[in-house]
Amino acid sequence: MPINQDEPWYKHAIIYQVHVRTFNDSNGDGIGDFRGLDEKLDYLSDLGINTIWLMPFFPSPLRDDGYDIADYYSVHSSYGTLEDFKKFLVSAHQRQIKVIIEMVLNHTSDQHPWFQESRSSQDNPRRDWYVWRNTDTGYAEARIIFLDSEMSNWAWDTVSKSYYWHRFFNHQPDLNYDNPAVRDEMWNVMKFWLELGVDGFRLDAVPYLVEREGTNCENLPETHAIIKELRRKLDEQFPGRMLLAEANQWPADLRPYFGDGDEFHMAFHFPLMPRMFMGVKLEDRKPITEILRQTPEIPASCQWCLFLRNHDELTLEMVNDVERAYMNDSYAQDKAMRLNLGIRRRLAPLLDNDRRRIELMNGMLMSLPGTPSIYYGDEIGMGDNINLGDRNGVRTPMQWSGGWNGGFSSADPEKLYAPLIQDPVYGSPAVNVLSQKRTQHSLLNWMARLIAVRKTAGAFGSGSIEFLYPGNQRILTYVRELGDQKILVVNNLSNAAQAVELDLRKYKGNILIEMFGRNIFPRVGDLPYLLTLGPYQFYWFRLRRI
Amino acid sequence: MAQESFLTDDFLGQLISVGEVDILVGVPTHNNAKTVGPIVETIQAGILKFFPRERAAIINADGGSRDGTPQLVESAAIGDAQSRSRQYALRTLRSITTEYASSPASGTALRTILAAAELLRAKACAVISPESTQITTDWLAALLRPAYADTFDLVLPTYRRHKFDGVLLTNLLYPMTRALYGLKIREPYALEYAFSGRLGSQFLAQNAWSEETARAGSEIQLTLASVTGDFRIGQTFLGTKKHVERRSADLVLAMRQTVGALFSSMGQNFSVWSGKTGSQPVPTTGTEQEFSLEPLRVNRKRLREMFSAGVAELASVFQSILSAPTLAELQRIAGLDEASFCYSGELWVKTVYEFAAAYHKSVISRDHIIQALAPLFRGRAFTFLTENRNGTAASVENNIEGLCVEFERMKPYLLKIWNGGE
Amino acid sequence: MWEMIVSELTQAMQELARGFAHILPRIIVVVIMALVGWVAAYLLKVIVRSILRLIKFDKLSENAGASQLLTKAALPSATDLVCRFVFWVAWLGFILLGVQALGIVGLQEQIAKFFLFLPRLFAALLILFFGLLGATFLSRAALLAAVNANFPSPRLLSVSVRTIIIIFVLSMAFEEVGVAEQTVVVAFGIAFGAIMLGLAIAFGTGGKELAQQFLERKVLHGRKDEAKEDELSPL
Repeated sequence: MPINQDEPWYKHAIIYQVHVRTFNDSNGDGIGDFRGLDEKLDYLSDLGINTIWLMPFFPSPLRDDGYDIADYYSVHSSYGTLEDFKKFLVSAHQRQIKVIIEMVLNHTSDQHPWFQESRSSQDNPRRDWYVWRNTDTGYAEARIIFLDSEMSNWAWDTVSKSYYWHRFFNHQPDLNYDNPAVRDEMWNVMKFWLELGVDGFRLDAVPYLVEREGTNCENLPETHAIIKELRRKLDEQFPGRMLLAEANQWPADLRPYFGDGDEFHMAFHFPLMPRMFMGVKLEDRKPITEILRQTPEIPASCQWCLFLRNHDELTLEMVNDVERAYMNDSYAQDKAMRLNLGIRRRLAPLLDNDRRRIELMNGMLMSLPGTPSIYYGDEIGMGDNINLGDRNGVRTPMQWSGGWNGGFSSADPEKLYAPLIQDPVYGSPAVNVLSQKRTQHSLLNWMARLIAVRKTAGAFGSGSIEFLYPGNQRILTYVRELGDQKILVVNNLSNAAQAVELDLRKYKGNILIEMFGRNIFPRVGDLPYLLTLGPYQFYWFRLRRI
Repeated sequence: MAQESFLTDDFLGQLISVGEVDILVGVPTHNNAKTVGPIVETIQAGILKFFPRERAAIINADGGSRDGTPQLVESAAIGDAQSRSRQYALRTLRSITTEYASSPASGTALRTILAAAELLRAKACAVISPESTQITTDWLAALLRPAYADTFDLVLPTYRRHKFDGVLLTNLLYPMTRALYGLKIREPYALEYAFSGRLGSQFLAQNAWSEETARAGSEIQLTLASVTGDFRIGQTFLGTKKHVERRSADLVLAMRQTVGALFSSMGQNFSVWSGKTGSQPVPTTGTEQEFSLEPLRVNRKRLREMFSAGVAELASVFQSILSAPTLAELQRIAGLDEASFCYSGELWVKTVYEFAAAYHKSVISRDHIIQALAPLFRGRAFTFLTENRNGTAASVENNIEGLCVEFERMKPYLLKIWNGGE
Repeated sequence: MWEMIVSELTQAMQELARGFAHILPRIIVVVIMALVGWVAAYLLKVIVRSILRLIKFDKLSENAGASQLLTKAALPSATDLVCRFVFWVAWLGFILLGVQALGIVGLQEQIAKFFLFLPRLFAALLILFFGLLGATFLSRAALLAAVNANFPSPRLLSVSVRTIIIIFVLSMAFEEVGVAEQTVVVAFGIAFGAIMLGLAIAFGTGGKELAQQFLERKVLHGRKDEAKEDELSPL
């Protein structure tokens, strides 16, 4: 077995991020649901996915795509019932697929019964569940996150005639974590879903849980204390379940979220992601190697989560101004693509539908240190629709075939929760699962192969990384090592064929075995190792000594 | 760097250019210029006939031949095959040669072939002896097809032998391997055999490449590796085995390579053989083992004389190895005249088992133990030849079967004396 | 006159006493050294015994054939023997060190010589031991080879091999220890030469035909078929 069974499962997870609404509609109402998702589990299993991350599916007014939750203990009626969810969970587990769900701890929808009660009067028992003030001057140093839609972190409530705190949209009031009742209830929420059998949570917006005067209200010690408490309870009562942090911070600021192995198990490596795009545009490895060099060591049981795209915009918060300007000029010349300090496009359009670049980026995703997460639809190269407002352009229905509604739903096209992509390049007749399954070298089949090869070596998931710095800076190359498994990864970030000489003296005597075709390459000797690569090509070599 | 690995740069370069094969045929050689040419031509013809669409390569692992053997192999593999067999070759014919050492070591030769099989990702690999001059193209099919079709992991041969040929095999190697490992393998020390890529990789990965195995006995190690692992063993009938083929008519040399390897493997694999009782038949394709009954002149008298001389002269050595009753019995029958001489099956089994136990405990130098067994074996050979002098093929087979049952029956005795006891 | 004798006597006694007092501390030193030495030697013996047990020294010496020799000479087992030997040598060494302190000139030189002698003694014993081991091994190898090649009188061959090697080893040991060096060397040379000469003569006269056949076979390939007929292929 190439993967050590003693290691935590999340070190070798291949995560598929999907919103149940977008995936498959089983009852013809134009909205994807859990029964539909259940039907497509075999597709995910064939792709090689072993973990599903579900976007929020709770009852909600859907003003922030479900991140504004109105009831934590139920399923939105459009997606099915709690029973449907339970059945889906059982089916997933039968296929050895784990399920992670969203848990929005920081805020609720303003339609949530708790907020309704809290705002009703100053004496309501739940008054203290949210953060109320009479003026809007408190916590002045906290930044505004949704710059394009909010002017302030305080909103005026006409009912209780006071201001309430919200770090995100104004209809998403922040919960008050200084209140023990809030903390207890949120644990109960988590416990409810854990008892049903979910394998972990992605905790949304964790840096903002607690606010204090005179700070920027992010990453405060009190926030970490809360997380430690949650983790402690989790380990006690539900060992083996996982907490994944969504914390868009610089690496040094992300480090505290792992604690001493007593906070989050995993966290997204936000700063790496834009730099991968940058490296490919600049044709220079510097952004990538630098950010990984600056990435601090994390506890042995912890793991980074890597991704190329997700449901949000490609955030450019964690880059400096020079870099942001470059990224906007390179990837989002149309200003309509820019949102909230980011770029709201899918993977394929960002990369000009260039198959080689898409493969290269996925190759890096699968070989850099961390657990990879694939955004639904990127495995077939789906396109986006920036005219849908906010970030909905990247949340269009999954394209299963070239037929009626792309195979997503039997409803009238006008009833779909969002229109299908229709242009001749990315539209469903051109880009869909069915035709890609029939084409031997489709992107879908390639992705399945990529994932299969990644699974043959545990070094990708839990091994160390050591960068090589050959003179040719268009080549990003590193060695992943775990035990006596050594994998050499060589990526050509440039549009042109390259030759590179690698200093592999440390691995002298090893035969290189290319991992996809398993052909042998010459053995490492004393001289620099010459490799040639086509545009955007990458190699994965296993180093073998016989 | 080449010293760290037993694969030379040149060899690796050849492997790189071959890329990937479906079938690999290995020929380990050392000064076989007289016989190897036609054998390689037959191999090539067999490949073209039975595996015309498959990617195949012949690999010659040479142990420092001085008579031009490697060059002969190469020219036979690529040059004349096509014209001689009149088969059309769809693909480029490939042949790899490497000198793995300057002096022959069958273990290293096998290891080289295994490494090639793994790096070329061969589905099936056959090893053919450069001395098997009676090889036909059918042999290739018989050996390789079961491995290639993934029916078996190890394919061992069976032959039509003369009833007196291979007495060491029929009286010691076959019954004892059968009793120990519970499988009726007729030729546990085979010179041609085939194996699947899976078994090859597994065997290569084992760290059993000591000095001892490098020199000899690796074939039986391969058999044992597949018995002890989770691999399927099958047998296939090849044809007649002529009895003057082998150079190792020297008994002691043969015993060192086979009996020595068998005894030493018992130590490592105790947990495997100690638990087995009885024996299972091994699936066999083609006809079963047969005996040919042509008359053959053998000097039996000399055998008995050497036995008696051995028992007399080696008494001091035997005292350290054998139990007192066994030794006394041997001394008794040594004194009998030719007519009444009989080295019974039971006594022989006891002798062999006590020798195995002594070998395990290293009571004296292990090589000496093997040498001391030789004169006793001659005595047993005498009895065997006498008993079957006028026998039919079936009766000979029956007698051998009887001896096998005797080995199996007395296995508890072996277990008793293995660690403690006498 | 009586007073003179008395005073002389007293003086002499005083001198004796003084001399005694002078030497007493040194004697005490010797005694202490002896005691310390006894303890140290005992510890050393225990350590050596455990080491020998660990390497199964008894078994080794059995292989060498030394054990048989020892039992014949009614000596204790090899391990015991070595341990006792170590003990006595160590203790003696300590005592001699102490004696050195006494400062008796001639004795010091001899003691030094003793300590110089020790390593050579040790070397000699090692040679003897490994020589015996080798002799047994080689004689057995010769025996087995002769039996399997159907030579006449294999046991004679084996015993002669063993004897020659033992004589050789003994001479080396003696030479190492320095006992009658020249004599032993010369005696060995004579004996060895005589044996070789004897063998040559025996072979030359008695083995004439055998040699002839051997040469014929090698040069003329005449005998091949007959040999093949005699020996059947065992595999």
